[in-house]
Amino acid sequence: MKIKDIMIKNVISAKPELAIKDALQIMKENKIRHLPVVNEENSVIGIISDRDLKDASPSVFAADQKELLEKPVSEVMITDVLTAFTNDFVEEAAHMMTENQISCLPIEKNGKLSGIITETDLLHTLVRLTGADAPSSRLELEVPNRSGMLSDVAAIIKDHKINIQSVLVYPSNDQTKKILVFRLRSMDLRMLIQSLKESDYAVLWPEQLGMRT
Amino acid sequence: MMPEAAYIYSPEQLNYKFSEDHPFNQRRLSLTLDLLKELGALEQHQIFPARMATDQELLLIHEEEYIKAVKSASTGLVQSSYSSTFGIGTEDTPAFPNMHEAAAWLVGGTLAAVDMVFELGYKHALNLGGGLHHGFRGKASGFCVYNDSSIAIEYMRRKYQARVLYVDTDAHHGDGVQWAFYNDPDVCTLSIHESGRFLFPGTGNVNERGHGEGNGYTFNIPLEAFTEDESFLQSYRKAFTEVVEYFKPDVIVTQNGADAHYYDPLTHLCGTSKIFLEIPKLAHELAHKYCEGRWIAVGGGGYDIWRVVPRAWSAIWLEMSGQTDLFKQSLPESWLKRWQKETDAVLPDSWYDQPDMYPPIPRKNEINLKNERTLNKALEPIFKKKTDNEKQNVLL
Repeated sequence: MKIKDIMIKNVISAKPELAIKDALQIMKENKIRHLPVVNEENSVIGIISDRDLKDASPSVFAADQKELLEKPVSEVMITDVLTAFTNDFVEEAAHMMTENQISCLPIEKNGKLSGIITETDLLHTLVRLTGADAPSSRLELEVPNRSGMLSDVAAIIKDHKINIQSVLVYPSNDQTKKILVFRLRSMDLRMLIQSLKESDYAVLWPEQLGMRT
Repeated sequence: MMPEAAYIYSPEQLNYKFSEDHPFNQRRLSLTLDLLKELGALEQHQIFPARMATDQELLLIHEEEYIKAVKSASTGLVQSSYSSTFGIGTEDTPAFPNMHEAAAWLVGGTLAAVDMVFELGYKHALNLGGGLHHGFRGKASGFCVYNDSSIAIEYMRRKYQARVLYVDTDAHHGDGVQWAFYNDPDVCTLSIHESGRFLFPGTGNVNERGHGEGNGYTFNIPLEAFTEDESFLQSYRKAFTEVVEYFKPDVIVTQNGADAHYYDPLTHLCGTSKIFLEIPKLAHELAHKYCEGRWIAVGGGGYDIWRVVPRAWSAIWLEMSGQTDLFKQSLPESWLKRWQKETDAVLPDSWYDQPDMYPPIPRKNEINLKNERTLNKALEPIFKKKTDNEKQNVLL
C-alpha cells in the first residue's frame, strides 16, 4: 500500500505572507491542526501547527500586542519540514512519523505539494489492514515459527470455501511461535475450527469460555 | 375494544432453508408456535398470515440487479461471479430452490406486521420470521438475503412518514439496517451486540454514529465476550431508555435475535434466558410511554433452536399480549414430550435457567467495567445535549 492510496489529496495550504490570525481561522474552520506553507511554485517551504501559532499569539491579558497576530506565518513556520513522497510505502511514512514524533506529513510529487497524511489516516489504514471494515469473523491461531505454516492454514481455510478478508502475522511472546490473525468472510467458523483442531492447531480465538486472560 | 397484539405466521416462512445442517433453521418458528399453543397463550384469531413481498417493495431497499441475481439463483442458475458480487453461493448463504420466494415471504411477514399496526389499529405485532439484519442493498451476508426490517422501515417512512427507532439485541451487529439508514435523521438505529473484535461482522463500533444529516442517529454498544446477564441488561436498559427519550420515535421496531445465550454455538456473550424475558418487557413499556403502543417485533439469529429460541421468542408474545404470569409455570409437558424425541439436547422445563449452568467467568469485573465505559461513550452525545440544554435553561 502506497502513500498516494491513503493520503488526503485536496490539501489545504498557506502562502508565506498569510497573517497568523487568518491561518488560525482557516485551521479552526476546517478542523485541521497543520498547514503546509508553499511558495508560488507550490513547493513546500514550511509547516505551521495550531500549537506553534498559539505559542506565537499574545496572551489574552496583553491586549496591546494584538498586532502580533497580523504578522505573516513565514516568521513562525518550521522550515526544516519532513516530507514523504507519493510512491513511498505507508509503513515508511508511519516509521518516519513515530521516529520524529510528528503527527502529520506533507506529501510531495515532483517537488510539488500533492497531499498530506496524519496519524488519523494511518489509524484508518490499520483498521482496513486488519480487515474489520467488511463483514467478517476473527480467527486467531498460534503456530510454530517455521516456514509454510501460513500456507498450511490457508489451505484448510480454502477447503472450507471461505474467503480471507485479511491476514496479520506477528511474533508471539514465545519466540518459537507466531500468531496468525485472519478476518474471514463467514459467520459460522465451527466446521473450520474443528478441522484446525483435528490438525492440532492451537486456536486462540474463538474460544468457548473466557479462561484466557 | 381492539385487541392489543397480532402474531404473524405463514407456513411459507419455513421454506427459508439453506440446507439440512445449516445453522439458520426455521424449525424455530414451528417450535415456538407449538409452545405458545400448548401454553394456551395463542388463539387462532390472533394469528394473521404473512404475504410475499412484491418486487416493488423489495426495491425500497434492494438493487434491481441483486434481486435479479437472487431470482436466478432461485431457479438453480448460479453464476460463479454471484458469490463475490452478490454474496450468494457462499458457505453462509448458499443458493437453494425458490430462495427468492422464501426470502420475500419473510419480508412480507414484517410488512404484514406493519400493516396490522398502522392500518388495523393493533398496538403491537410480531413477525418471528423476520429480523434478517445482515442483508445489504446489493449483497447477501450472514445468512440473510433480503433485509425485511430495512424494507419495513423504509415502507413506514414513505407511507406514514413515521420516525422509526430500530433496536437490535441480536448478538451480531445489525449492520445491514444501520448502513441502510446511516444518512437518515428520521431513522435511529441502536444495536447492542458482541464486539466486532470477537464476532462477525466486525463492525458496530461506538464511533459509528451516522453520516451527514444522519449523524447522531446511529448508536452502537459493542459488548465484551463473556458479558453475562447483569451487564448486558444494564447496558440495554440504559441505552434504550436514553435513546428513546432523545429521539422520540413514532414507532419502535425491535429485532430479537436469540443468540446472546450461553448455549448459542456461534457467540460468546454468555447470557441466560433471563435476558430474553427482560428485553421485550422494556420494549413494551417504552412503546406505550413514547409511541402510543406502536411496537413491531421481529426475530433474527438464534442457533440453539431447542433450548433457547422457543422460550426466548415465546416470551416476546407473552409480553406483548400481557400473559407474563405464565413465566411462573413450567413449560407444558405435552410440548416437552413432543419435541424431546427430536433432539439429543435436554429441553429445559423452566423459563429460567439454573444459575450454575456454566462455570464462573474470570475477569468479570474487568468485563463489566469495560462495558460500562463503552455504554457511556456511546451515549455521550445524548448526555452532552442534556447538559447543554440545562445550561440554556439556566441562562433563560
